Amino acid sequence: MKCQKCNKNEANTHVKRVINGEFEEYHLCSECAKEMGYSNVFSDFTNSFADDFNSLFGSFFENALPARTQATRCETCGTSYNDIARTGMMGCADCYEVFADRILPTIRRIHGNTTHMGKNSPSYKKVEVEEKPETKPKDELSELKEQLDTAIKNQEFEKAAVLRDKIKEKENENE
Amino acid sequence: MSNVVMQTRIRLARNLKKYPFPQRLNTAGKNEVAEEIIKAVKNSNSPLSKELNILYVKDLTEAQRISLVEQHLASPEFMSDSAGRALILSKDKTMSIMINEEDHIRLQILYKDFNLEQAYDTADKLDTLLDENLDFAFDEKLGYLTQCPTNLGTGMRASVMLHLPALKSSKAIGRIAGNLSKLGLTIRGAYGEGTEPEGAMYQLSNQVTLGISEKAAIENLKNIAQQLVTQELQSEKRMSENLETQDKIFRSLGILKTAKLISCKEALELLSNVRFGINASLIKDVSLETVDELITEIQPATMMVNKNEKIPPRERDILRAEILNEKLN
Repeated sequence: MKCQKCNKNEANTHVKRVINGEFEEYHLCSECAKEMGYSNVFSDFTNSFADDFNSLFGSFFENALPARTQATRCETCGTSYNDIARTGMMGCADCYEVFADRILPTIRRIHGNTTHMGKNSPSYKKVEVEEKPETKPKDELSELKEQLDTAIKNQEFEKAAVLRDKIKEKENENE
Repeated sequence: MSNVVMQTRIRLARNLKKYPFPQRLNTAGKNEVAEEIIKAVKNSNSPLSKELNILYVKDLTEAQRISLVEQHLASPEFMSDSAGRALILSKDKTMSIMINEEDHIRLQILYKDFNLEQAYDTADKLDTLLDENLDFAFDEKLGYLTQCPTNLGTGMRASVMLHLPALKSSKAIGRIAGNLSKLGLTIRGAYGEGTEPEGAMYQLSNQVTLGISEKAAIENLKNIAQQLVTQELQSEKRMSENLETQDKIFRSLGILKTAKLISCKEALELLSNVRFGINASLIKDVSLETVDELITEIQPATMMVNKNEKIPPRERDILRAEILNEKLN
């Protein structure tokens, strides 16, 4: 589809507006969109998505990517990377993790960085604080117990005695 | 200062963790999301829970939908599709939530003066209260997760509506706009289409939402807005001494007071000139409030909603002239 303003370039920005009491839709090229004050974040974004996608797709055949980036669909919502590249929209919160390797460069291009600096969701913090103290000491303890088992098997009794004391100490701490 | 700044807006994008983003939801899914959000708002101990209107888009007439866009209470994108969409609106219209627009939640605070800090403070408190009852999609590294990655991080879009007739006529605005993107900001016409915004009204807003705190983004926007205001006032002062400018201002008021047929576009241009005249103390018998109210009141769909009937374009131009004659005489 050609840009409705200049009728020359390919349209890649879709704008909905209300003009004189009616809904109007425009399909614009990035240049005209920029001129009209629609920052071309969106068009740049879809373009860069397509670029990223194409370059990754290219390298996919050339040097087979690691398994992690091969996920073709998000299990939670069924969105494929192709869908994201086409619409510029993620399918669900989990898509950000599933497609992290591929979208982070684009995110960096849009915002100039990839690290949140603002408000933290209050409920998100709560979960984190509750979970940490429960899980960590437990893991350490089971690790010590495993080491003790191995030490006994290998008949390393001196080491085993040290580990046994450590385990007792930990268990007392937890109580 | 607030004579140039006509409006302050803060918008926060939020999503519920357990549902896909709106684009991936069918109508039943959207309805479920809407009910959950409405319930959470009602149960939140917030100012919005006490006095709220819930408008389901499917129940609104086209004129009602467009009028809400004209009042900046909803986006054109939101009102162009009704499936599973609802607008929660406070009685005084300063607080609103669009449900299932691009994100599950688009919370908005809208003030008629220049007060970004207070608007953000109100938005932040409301967001925190909603957070108690809703599980938001959030990531430690990427912040609030949004359907479109352009809103990632704070999910905040802060904006001010500026009336810049002098900077527009001196063509300075184009130069300024080009430099703004380097500062993470963007400017566009608040009404109309193209590079010549109707009524010289512009919307200045932040563009970057990741890697910058809400406070810093607001501070940045405020500083630039203040600089634009200073430049505008200087140019207005210079221009208002010019007899041609004065002539244009008084002719505009004359037309608005006496015209029999007037389009929305022409009315906005003339009201903009009158507004300039009031700011420059040339016009003393009309208040800024009257002009700002008229800017919304003469919009096509808002006129139809206020009259409660469908009005064809020619009749609208007659009615618009009548409203303007009455309010300005």
